[in-house]
Amino acid sequence: MNSFKSYLKKEAIEALRTNKYLILSVGTVFWALLNPLMLKLLPIIMEKYIPAELSEIFSYFTRDTAFQNFLSDLFEMGTLFIAFSLMGLISSEVYGKKLAFPYSRGADPAGIVLAKYIHYAITISILILIAFLTNYFYINSLFSGGILSVEIVLKSALLYIFYYCTFLSILMFFSSIFRRSLIAGISSLVLGYSLSIFNQFKTIRVYFPNYLLYKAADILFVFDSSLIKTIIISFYLIILLIMLTIYRMKKIDIA
Amino acid sequence: MIEVAGLRKKYGKLEALKSISFNVKEGSIFGFIGRNGAGKTTTMNILTGLLKFDDGKIYIKGRDFLKNKRESLKLIGYLPESPSFYNYLTSYEYLNFIGEITGCNKKNLHKTIVELLEKVRITKHSKRRIGTYSRGMKQRLALAVAIMNNPEILFLDEPASALDPEGRMEMLDLIEELKNEKITIFLSTHILNDAERVCDRICIIDEGKIILTESLSNLHKTYIQPIFDIEFDDDPKDKIKSLEKLDWIDTTKIDGHRLSIYVRDIDYAKKEIMKEISKLDVGVISYQIRKSNLEDIFMRMVGKNELI
Repeated sequence: MNSFKSYLKKEAIEALRTNKYLILSVGTVFWALLNPLMLKLLPIIMEKYIPAELSEIFSYFTRDTAFQNFLSDLFEMGTLFIAFSLMGLISSEVYGKKLAFPYSRGADPAGIVLAKYIHYAITISILILIAFLTNYFYINSLFSGGILSVEIVLKSALLYIFYYCTFLSILMFFSSIFRRSLIAGISSLVLGYSLSIFNQFKTIRVYFPNYLLYKAADILFVFDSSLIKTIIISFYLIILLIMLTIYRMKKIDIA
Repeated sequence: MIEVAGLRKKYGKLEALKSISFNVKEGSIFGFIGRNGAGKTTTMNILTGLLKFDDGKIYIKGRDFLKNKRESLKLIGYLPESPSFYNYLTSYEYLNFIGEITGCNKKNLHKTIVELLEKVRITKHSKRRIGTYSRGMKQRLALAVAIMNNPEILFLDEPASALDPEGRMEMLDLIEELKNEKITIFLSTHILNDAERVCDRICIIDEGKIILTESLSNLHKTYIQPIFDIEFDDDPKDKIKSLEKLDWIDTTKIDGHRLSIYVRDIDYAKKEIMKEISKLDVGVISYQIRKSNLEDIFMRMVGKNELI
């Protein structure tokens, strides 16, 4: 418990002083703000440069489609920002020999791993919630039509939060097995993006965490029974990967 | 206090530790000396729980280290050769962080940190981020981390290597002070004068093997061997082969125009050495007898190990 508490505090100071909070905010909240603005302003700015048919497409955006467009962008950019800013969560500490003092003073690897995971899971969850509500505010101001409501936005946000908690556990596990942060980041990204391919296969997509993103964009039926399997599998995946990361941190040579 | 038996460690095909055994008595300073790559840091990293080992047994205060790792580590403080910190923290924050990990009493933690900062003389810089510290300041902070929460055993890996001469003397004084507090100190160093000044026992490690473990006083008694230092006008290198054949001469060492002769029988040598020197037909500038120090003993032991 001592290790957990001290690492939780340390992670918060680190995120603040190394601008990780800022980077994660740019990767989530900034897109929430920029996305509807760009959708609205781009056809006006580019009026003279883009064909009339394309310009017309922009005018068909309703609140629902604008929200779905934001979700798609958030997945692409948010995942990139999260992967590259948190890829060294464990590897940079091991590679930089930062754990020599804590380990030699009896730090508990489970406490360290849990503190890191919980800190960033909470951070990402808060930022996603802020991003979704910000996006909803701008979409309501700039677009009309559609059935989008706060309830739907919050349900979608919840699924994105759950997806990113799963993604974070994958990233942290890779960060514990690769000594180079960049390899951990790229591996997580490749896995994160490539799993979306399974969303095209109706029979098996529920078995992959990326189905959470598919359902988040399904505005008419965000929550339905098809999510149960995905939620259970994702939950077990998080637990399994955290346990494997702890096991790895118990066995790893620190010096 | 520390008992190591048959400790082995391999890095791939390289055998870094070849079944080493030694023991460290409670309240003593154990000097662990050896060349770069001899296995000193590997041994220290194993004894502080940072590295796994392939074979052997380690007992800390009579308890199996592997079976009681967490409990044993609470008794240990470690100062690594190149300490690494979270550079965005201040030294106060870092000590607070380590204090919380070691389970320091929260009520006394502030007082403990202030005392430690004072002890290693970085109070003035305690609000600055560690990333802005010089190497010497980081070394001092590392010592503060190592002695936090009053460990019973202290592992110091080259503690004075990054310090200026004044800092080095202060570090040695501090080590002696810690010894007076009955802390068992395991000191790895290549500055043999430092080891000779503070250590009770000396262990020489070379190529992953322990080649000698002896108390400093016994070491002097056993290996004390007067050395004849003779300085010549010219390089004597080509002319000393005749000396090396004499059975009362153990070994010779040339450093420029200076020849050091290690002898087996001092009384006989005193009578005969000038006769033999005169046969070399090289002008002698100076001649003196010197008592061998730890450095001489180390060079001889390591030299012998190379011949094995």
